[in-house]
Amino acid sequence: MNPWLRYSLAPAALIGTPIAGHAIVYLNVQQAQQAIFGGAGMSPATVSLSAEQKKAVQAASGVRQRSDSVKVWRVAGGGWFIVDEVLGKHEFITIAVGLTAGGAVKGVEVMEYRETYGDQVRAPKWRAQFHGKVKGAALKLDDDIKNISGATLSCRHVAEGVKRLLAVHDLALR
Amino acid sequence: MKNFHRAPIRRARPLLGTLVDIAAVAEENAVRAAFAAVEEVQRLMSYHDPLSEVSRLNREAHRASVEVSAWTGEVLALAQRLASESDGAFDITVAPQLAAMGYLPRTPANRRGERLASWRDLALLPGNRVFFKRPLHLDLGGIAKGFAVDRAVDALLAAGAESGCVNAGGDLRVFGDAPQTIHLRHPAHPGAMARSLALRGAAVATSSDYFSRKRWRGDTVCALIDGRTRHPADVRRSASVIAPTAALADALTKIVLFAPPPVSNELLARHKAACVLLDEAGGILRAA
Repeated sequence: MNPWLRYSLAPAALIGTPIAGHAIVYLNVQQAQQAIFGGAGMSPATVSLSAEQKKAVQAASGVRQRSDSVKVWRVAGGGWFIVDEVLGKHEFITIAVGLTAGGAVKGVEVMEYRETYGDQVRAPKWRAQFHGKVKGAALKLDDDIKNISGATLSCRHVAEGVKRLLAVHDLALR
Repeated sequence: MKNFHRAPIRRARPLLGTLVDIAAVAEENAVRAAFAAVEEVQRLMSYHDPLSEVSRLNREAHRASVEVSAWTGEVLALAQRLASESDGAFDITVAPQLAAMGYLPRTPANRRGERLASWRDLALLPGNRVFFKRPLHLDLGGIAKGFAVDRAVDALLAAGAESGCVNAGGDLRVFGDAPQTIHLRHPAHPGAMARSLALRGAAVATSSDYFSRKRWRGDTVCALIDGRTRHPADVRRSASVIAPTAALADALTKIVLFAPPPVSNELLARHKAACVLLDEAGGILRAA
């Protein structure tokens, strides 16, 4: 066997361990503000959207606006900092978007990423098939699930989220 | 002053059509430089951006040779080398097939003879010039993500990072003294793990159809195309390759999936790489 593999390939103990619910927190609000706007002052606000405005956001961006409100911060010297959530097929991502005073995207940061598989992975019956095979093997995940290979999830939903927030800005923050 | 036992910085940005995740024991500016390198690869090699070098080649290189940057030239040279070594199992000219199935935007004009084009119609000339012997569409989606990971690692090391991991949608590379644990998804249930690897100073990439599988004209298809048959993989398994660089690992996964085992084993050995093929039950089908 290839020397790469001889010592490194772990036994089947992990087969079936769900990644679902696995979350990575990259940045808190303050860190995301710092990352996009440096030390600029921020004053928080909440934008409430009427049913009509939500429809208008969808019409303008092609993306459904689910929430009735959006968390925004007015940046000293012009611009907006927005925190929002985007929902993919298997993932739930919190993003921070910085907009310039003119309404152009200044920066996008991923604040939190969570996988949300609703499929059979969570079903006890599916998971049970693995239990007999790993007798005695304690399921010990070192710290947490840090690195996953084969995670080719699309960032399409993040791009759509940014488009939607630009429409919210057009409608409610100009 | 050197900081010992520093906590790693972890950041993610939407790039290369996926989330690029960088974790490193490094200064903020090192991580920023690494993302800048990934952005540069995207700017040069995106299939979707009409201003990229790849788009310019796709528009113009069948009429006259086009000069590309050193980075694009390097990716094309590696892609062509692997295409030749695998007798076309890895082929960067399968974009028309991907477009037909809706995995890439349709090309503006279905130019004559394009579907018959292969890697053999791509000529790399001195001075980083590229010429297409017939109209064709390049798509570097099977190798550029890995290349971007390598350039991000270079940027981190150049800025003094001690250790870290750069992961572009599942194609990743680790650096630093200590081994890092990498988890492989379960081929039939990507929401669960199947295996794990302890990796030190190396890259791993995984190809499977689990996120791209769909029904198309009565068949099950996915975004992995066998360069020789031009048909999508019928895989229901995953191929992971461990290699010294992420670009190699990324491209070699396709060769492991499509080329006959004697061919792919020889190529793995030649490139100091290894593979792990997982079956639908998450068991090891082949490890070489």
